[in-house]
Amino acid sequence: MNRDFYLTLAKNGQAFPVATHLTLHEQPAADLPAILLDGQRLGQVLATSARRYRNPLAVPLMDLMLEKQSLLQSLGIPAELIDTYHFTAPPADGAPAFTFTPRMTATCAALRYIAAETDLVPVGMCIGPFSLMTKLLSDPITPVFLAAGGADGEEEPEVALMETCLRLSLRVITEYVTRQIAAGARALFVCEPAANLVYFSPNQLAEDFGIFERLVIEPNRQLRELLRQHHVELIFHDCGELTDGMVSRFAKLEPVMLSLGSSRKLWEDARLVPDNIVLYGNLPSKHFYSDETYPVARVRAMAAELREKMRATGHPFILGSECDVLSVPGSEQIIQDKVNAFTAWSGAP
Amino acid sequence: MDEQHPLTQAVIRGRRKEIPELVKQCVDAGEDAKSILENRLVPGMAIVGERFKKNEIFVPEMLVAARAMKEAVKILEPLLVAAGVKPEFTAVIGTVEGDLHDIGKNLVAMMWKGANIDVIDLGVNVAPAKFVEAAQQHKPHLIGLSALLTTTMPSMKTTVAALKQSGSTAKVCIGGAPITQAYADEIGADGYSRDAGSAVDVALALLRGTALAA
Repeated sequence: MNRDFYLTLAKNGQAFPVATHLTLHEQPAADLPAILLDGQRLGQVLATSARRYRNPLAVPLMDLMLEKQSLLQSLGIPAELIDTYHFTAPPADGAPAFTFTPRMTATCAALRYIAAETDLVPVGMCIGPFSLMTKLLSDPITPVFLAAGGADGEEEPEVALMETCLRLSLRVITEYVTRQIAAGARALFVCEPAANLVYFSPNQLAEDFGIFERLVIEPNRQLRELLRQHHVELIFHDCGELTDGMVSRFAKLEPVMLSLGSSRKLWEDARLVPDNIVLYGNLPSKHFYSDETYPVARVRAMAAELREKMRATGHPFILGSECDVLSVPGSEQIIQDKVNAFTAWSGAP
Repeated sequence: MDEQHPLTQAVIRGRRKEIPELVKQCVDAGEDAKSILENRLVPGMAIVGERFKKNEIFVPEMLVAARAMKEAVKILEPLLVAAGVKPEFTAVIGTVEGDLHDIGKNLVAMMWKGANIDVIDLGVNVAPAKFVEAAQQHKPHLIGLSALLTTTMPSMKTTVAALKQSGSTAKVCIGGAPITQAYADEIGADGYSRDAGSAVDVALALLRGTALAA
């Protein structure tokens, strides 16, 4: 597998969503907990979702809570507190033996299933280190702001706490990624949605991008290096609101695909991203539930416009969703119709 | 109101560490707590909200300003209580059931507090029954519902229905990444705010029964 594979997908005019959640939720609700813990059945869902949309990539659920659950469980936080737990003081910065949750183990087993039983590309999935750190603090914005202003951990305890949580985040993610690679992942979907304008003020970044480099890019560069050592490709995803400088820096991580949210104009981003990186996205799938805001005809028109504008740039591009397309109770068919509307456009230009 | 007053400027610029001394200077100069709140702090946050709406500042700057304001209110609180000064309005806020995201909800809570609204924060993953219970207990004028995920949005509909069913007369304002005005209309919410900066305008328009400025 190499970069050319993804460039060829783009050249072939491929269009596909990230739709594992949508496919999973076609199963009876009572079966879902069991499927999520059963690698083979979960793998079958990944395969079904990929084949339905002629997507050669089998992508796990974009569940960005798994690593937090693993980390906190490893540190002895009671299970019932984990979802809403935030650190108020730095946890021991030693090396806890990470306990992988049954969901993580099942995801790895699903990747093994894909690798052994299908001709699809097994793609791993993880949250980005910065985004995981933000889930560990009740207020992750202030320490980032203070650090951007030059405060260090000695001066501001909040900055010290944030930095410790970022280190722990990278460690648990690294271990999970290593396990997914061992299970057969040949690419990794890194989701870093918190690296955005909510956490980083463009006013501060206008003066110096150092804080973004230090807190977002450097930990992801370390992940990138791990992938490189194992010949695993990086698919980098951030559906948050971004500046051009952020997009340029993501490109420096040299992903094979860069997946961005609908707030970006991909045809303008094409000039920020080298030609060997496929741009993926970015139809507003988070709003597909609404027929009033996005009727099928509008989605179809947006898809056509996006294709046309991207074709004009000459930049490799795969038409897709802005994020994992989530199944909204009561709106399943409405969402499905819109996914069908843009994937039906698939075909060589 | 003096925009250039050092305390107002400290709020606008989020200089929390300067706040205790600046509040003390105001008190020592004979200003009463209500005047400090209404003429120094609230106007500072109003300016912050305006700058946010104009994209002159962003969420981090708004957040540190709100923290500076909170620091000042904490110091003034005993004086306000002693003087019998209470916020004009009370609000209850929470992230709806099934959703654990709290950044947006926290920002709105801070902005509402910055507008001198008494805010009771129910946290995240709040069941409709808990909103109803809070409405009965605190008799708020305003209830804020937040959701980040499309999958948890339907909890807003259930919550709005439960509140109406309970007889609550509080205005309900909703917001979050996937939310639109159309969705607010569909589920019978009274208001929708597209971001934390607009949340104060929407809240005050609902509370005062006035139209939002275009």
